Amino acid sequence: MDYDALVAELRQLRENVAGVTDTVIAASDGIPIISDVAKSVDPAHISALAAAGLGIARQATEVIGLGSLSQTVVFGSKGYMAVYAVGRMSLMVALGDKGLNLGRLLHESRPAIERIGTILAP
Amino acid sequence: MRVAGNVGGVFHLRDGAVVAVDSPGSPAAETLLLSSGRVGARDWAAALVASVEAGSVQAALVGRGVIGPAEVRAFALAAVRDGAFAVAAGEVESCEVAAEPGDVPALPVAGGVEPESLLAETARRLDAVASLPVPVAPYRDRVVPAGGVDPAVLTAERREVVFHATGRRTVRDVAFAVGRSLYPVTVEISRMLGEGVLEIASPRDSFTFSHGDLTALRARAEMREAGRPV
Repeated sequence: MDYDALVAELRQLRENVAGVTDTVIAASDGIPIISDVAKSVDPAHISALAAAGLGIARQATEVIGLGSLSQTVVFGSKGYMAVYAVGRMSLMVALGDKGLNLGRLLHESRPAIERIGTILAP
Repeated sequence: MRVAGNVGGVFHLRDGAVVAVDSPGSPAAETLLLSSGRVGARDWAAALVASVEAGSVQAALVGRGVIGPAEVRAFALAAVRDGAFAVAAGEVESCEVAAEPGDVPALPVAGGVEPESLLAETARRLDAVASLPVPVAPYRDRVVPAGGVDPAVLTAERREVVFHATGRRTVRDVAFAVGRSLYPVTVEISRMLGEGVLEIASPRDSFTFSHGDLTALRARAEMREAGRPV
């Protein structure tokens, strides 16, 4: 797997979107693939939570008929956890502080997710 | 008025005056109120509930006797000035005046701030940051504690900055982590860099990539395909 290419994508995301504190790419079964996280954050935990959350959100969009799933966002009083599906096989997590601009994150994430999808499944 | 860029922001205008500035670069008035300890999380949550009837969060806070109107105004004013500085300190790609009023800010400055005085104050702050002995880029520079500094000799505010300076955090990230305005934190970090309390982080500290040598999405997909009952 081309880890260097994934590193470049995650680095760019954290540099370009103010408020992104940690990023993880994981398989959709919750196994971490690559992470850039603070010492206090365990990528295995984040990956497992993100996979579970994304699975439920995907079910919800299908059952309710909301179309295709683009992202799930957990809103906390101190910050956010945004999870994006990368194809059917993997996902990307971005953790953010209170100042994170979710619109900007989504805007920057869309092309990044396309590229990450290609890197993961060339 | 929406300012696109990194970090960009939104200036909320009423009758020609700036009542609030939201920017990802600077903590909002709400964050400043809560992290200063001036308003507790429980009081804030209750004020949000009461604001539906009271008409505004400010009225709800004052109505509950949590804080006086002058003090709320001071926090809101600080957030407006800091927001304008945060937008101006970043890259501005474009500005667009929205015809429709956007989201109502939680804590607007009653009466607003005259754009001219806000511009003058922002220019003064940009000049002050540009002429600091150790120049600091709030959105680019990541800082770590310098070796050999005993935290016990630092002021409480500096200790907090040192505690949150993990090397992954930019100056802006530290401001959010300590819950103080971007401008004073930028000035303080520049001084701390000058005094050898902090230093600019190496790229190795700024990004901490790790992977578990997973080779495998495709391999697992194939295994799943192979294991599927026919």
